[in-house]
Amino acid sequence: MTNLAGKLNALYRTLRGVRSSGESFGLLFSLFRQVLDDNNKALEIITDMGDTLGGDYLFDIQYVRRSYADLHAAVNDSLRDFEALTHGRYPRLRDTFLNIDDGIRHVIDETVIAAKDLVVFYENVTGDRVRDIGGKNYNLAEIRNALKLNVPDAFAVTTRAFDAFMGHNRIFEQIQIPQDGSPVSGASLQEAHELILHGEMPPELHRAIDKAVKKIKSRCKGKCSLAVRSSAGEEDGEFSFAGQFETVLSVPLETAAVEKAYRKVLASLFSEKSSIYQKRLGYDLRDMKMAVGCVVMVDAATSGVLYSIDRQGNRDTLIINATWGLGTSIVEGQTDADLYTVNKHGDREIVEARIGRKSSMAIGREDGGVMTIATPDEKSKRSSLDPGRVAELARLALLIEKHFRRPQDIEWAIDGHGSVFILQARPLRQASDDTRMGVASAVAPDAHVLMKNSGLVVQNGVAAGRVFILKNINELDSVPRGAVLVARHDSSHFVRVMTEVSAIITDTGTPTSHMAALCREFRIPTIVNAGNATHLLAHGQEITLQVENEGATIYEGQVRQVMERARTSSVRMDELSEFRKKRYLLRYIAPLNLVDPLRDEFIPQACKTMHDVLRFIHEKSVAELIETAQSGVKAGAVKLDLTIPAGIMVIDIGGGLHNPLHADHVIAEQVSSLPLRALINGMTRPGIWRSDAVSLNVNDFMSSMLRMPDLMSDSGSRVESNMAVISREYANISLKFGYHFIIVDCFCSENTRNNHIYFRFTGGATDMTKRSRRLQVIAEILGEYGFNIKTKGDLIVARLANISRDEAEKVLDQLGRLISFTRQLDAVLRDDQAVKRYARNFLDGIYQA
Amino acid sequence: MNSHKIMVIDDEKIVGDMAKLSLEQEGYVVETFLNAEPALKRLQEEKFDVVVTDYKMKGIDGMEVLKNVKALYPGTQVIMITAFANLDAAIEALRRDVHDFFPKPVKIKELKASIKRALEKQA
Repeated sequence: MTNLAGKLNALYRTLRGVRSSGESFGLLFSLFRQVLDDNNKALEIITDMGDTLGGDYLFDIQYVRRSYADLHAAVNDSLRDFEALTHGRYPRLRDTFLNIDDGIRHVIDETVIAAKDLVVFYENVTGDRVRDIGGKNYNLAEIRNALKLNVPDAFAVTTRAFDAFMGHNRIFEQIQIPQDGSPVSGASLQEAHELILHGEMPPELHRAIDKAVKKIKSRCKGKCSLAVRSSAGEEDGEFSFAGQFETVLSVPLETAAVEKAYRKVLASLFSEKSSIYQKRLGYDLRDMKMAVGCVVMVDAATSGVLYSIDRQGNRDTLIINATWGLGTSIVEGQTDADLYTVNKHGDREIVEARIGRKSSMAIGREDGGVMTIATPDEKSKRSSLDPGRVAELARLALLIEKHFRRPQDIEWAIDGHGSVFILQARPLRQASDDTRMGVASAVAPDAHVLMKNSGLVVQNGVAAGRVFILKNINELDSVPRGAVLVARHDSSHFVRVMTEVSAIITDTGTPTSHMAALCREFRIPTIVNAGNATHLLAHGQEITLQVENEGATIYEGQVRQVMERARTSSVRMDELSEFRKKRYLLRYIAPLNLVDPLRDEFIPQACKTMHDVLRFIHEKSVAELIETAQSGVKAGAVKLDLTIPAGIMVIDIGGGLHNPLHADHVIAEQVSSLPLRALINGMTRPGIWRSDAVSLNVNDFMSSMLRMPDLMSDSGSRVESNMAVISREYANISLKFGYHFIIVDCFCSENTRNNHIYFRFTGGATDMTKRSRRLQVIAEILGEYGFNIKTKGDLIVARLANISRDEAEKVLDQLGRLISFTRQLDAVLRDDQAVKRYARNFLDGIYQA
Repeated sequence: MNSHKIMVIDDEKIVGDMAKLSLEQEGYVVETFLNAEPALKRLQEEKFDVVVTDYKMKGIDGMEVLKNVKALYPGTQVIMITAFANLDAAIEALRRDVHDFFPKPVKIKELKASIKRALEKQA
């Protein structure tokens, strides 16, 4: 396989060498457009599936199959064209695509990927194991492996072990389960329960558990016991059947004892209590597969439960329940534990501490099990946590919340040495979910409407909060919790604040953008393309936003009718097992993990969803285009005469020039390439291009001499190497002025989603300090236009995507001005204050030094 | 709150489950069936105000359900839903006085509105 890929690569490289004219670039360009079209088709299907599976529609498996078949075809087309475009340089991407496809087909067909092992240690748990070890095991293993937090030594007994046990003991054959889905009789449940408790361990399962127990024993030097708990087959851990199934604590490290506890946990699947719960959520008993977690017990001095937001949905604070000894009493709802409300920001100080009486405490018994003793007097009224520990727990909770992208319900324990362990983490089902997810349709006749039916709906829901107008992407960190984020452009970078903001409104953007996908995933009420929300709404103004399929309404202030109606009308579709099973499919399709091409690990293997694959394809297609435009296209170039001596040669690959005649030069008026025209409009704006010589000091001069030989030739014929490859909607422009290089790559079509502007600036004649000051000016200005920016040394890379043609043209005009404005700017940036001054001046349209 | 009785027949559990959950929110009493046979048997025992049925099902199909319901209770309104937009079936159903005909996926809001209209028709 690798060898074949290598040969293909070599072949492509050869072909590439041959194809080096404007004509072949045109071919490449049409492939690029083809990729974008395929991508858009796929993204539209993803959006449609997200909507339809969102709970507002009745759908059936036919719909799911049909939609996925369409999606598969669209992504496959995109991938095929991408492979042609990039000459097969990313062979791993197809493997990744096939893997994701495989996962999706298993969900659609409701087939289970057979677990390889009967037992798996947490350190060996990989991303594809959720289904066979259950949500509880998986989350904990993830916290250990990905977040590197303290989790007790543990292993999972998989669903394959469950099947082996049930099959070996012929449990389902022996009990009566009605075929029509009506409840299993109490007698049958009791029978199953007994059969499991006294069942025989299949020999291979016995060997696997025995081996695992011995391994744990040797690792903890024999001085520990286990908590054996259910990790039922709910894949996303959302419905973890809290408290429904048995947990056996302080199980001695002996195979027989662990097996006995294992059977006890399995048997609890057939308790009357859990079968009612299953029925309510639409589970079929035969569908249930129970994985089990065997986790080393922490010899807890203090333990408890933490909610990463408070139950009223206040996202500024989290709450911690704590007591002495084991946390079992808290989990079971004993109420005289300590309760701390903690500020999630800053130093994470305690807002309120209610010290409970903690009259009793649970401790592990020597011979297994747990006993409750009276709390010694000196302890009972004392706070079980000091402020330092509280802050530490809060820190861990925020890490976990961020990782799983949802508020969390976390069990924790602190051992005698003061080490904090995470014992369990699952999504917190909070009251405020209702307001975020609600199908709201309330009218508030008295409320003052600020905007109505403007914008495109991304995610339904109702939210209230203070407007935060984001002027510059760099201000993202100062967006307060609960705010309504209002911005000119949409950006996938908003993901950084998505657990914090209550709603998002953008002036521009599309519902299929990457940000939109993230908003749906986070269920944040969102509208895009709202026109001029950044002007109509005032920074700090309190508003209520109501987003329905039909459109969005923004009210002034907090409108209680709207908020309350949203709360009561919400239908908790996701309580239905069948619904969740189908919706689970979206996990492999919609979420976006490759958020930032400038920072994230942008490799095919990092793609986890179809959306990731499409994102990867888009980014790398743009990169390919830029790279190809930069190299090897020279033939057929004509000189572009401008009012400034920019010395640009133009290669038209289709519709970029009109009346090109046969002359070897063209004038600005002949440029019909939208992006190039906009850029040169900006560049040639009177008064920006400085032609007077800027004096360099000795340091600057030396610094430039060390790097390049032709300092004195900033005018004249040398600049002929500047090049623009253009079509009507595309331009790739590379400029070299003296010692700095600029690349602008832009596609600006009718279709907002397709459009991008890439800007790259590097080098300079002056010393590093001044050059980096110039970069700061550029970053400051580009940030204002919504660019995503990365700087490294004297390099700045900035990109802006998903912008309308009009917007792109405006931004390119500004970029043109910026190119001319900053040409010799470094030499005059004598101090850091100058950075702000020049950036401000530029933004205010003042271009003179 | 009204307590109109709605019957939902669809051979896919998810459709019945989702319909039940959302219609109960509106205060209706909802019974769901995975196939038509037991549903028709149930109709013999008791009148329902609205019957929502899938068109294409194994055994007795939606058109048969429609015929049977209309024969038993002419006033009961039938709403048919189908996985594929099927013009012939829609015409046939309309001829047989179907109240509404929806292709799947069906927007729940629209189904609710249709049920409301169906009940108003009876009143």
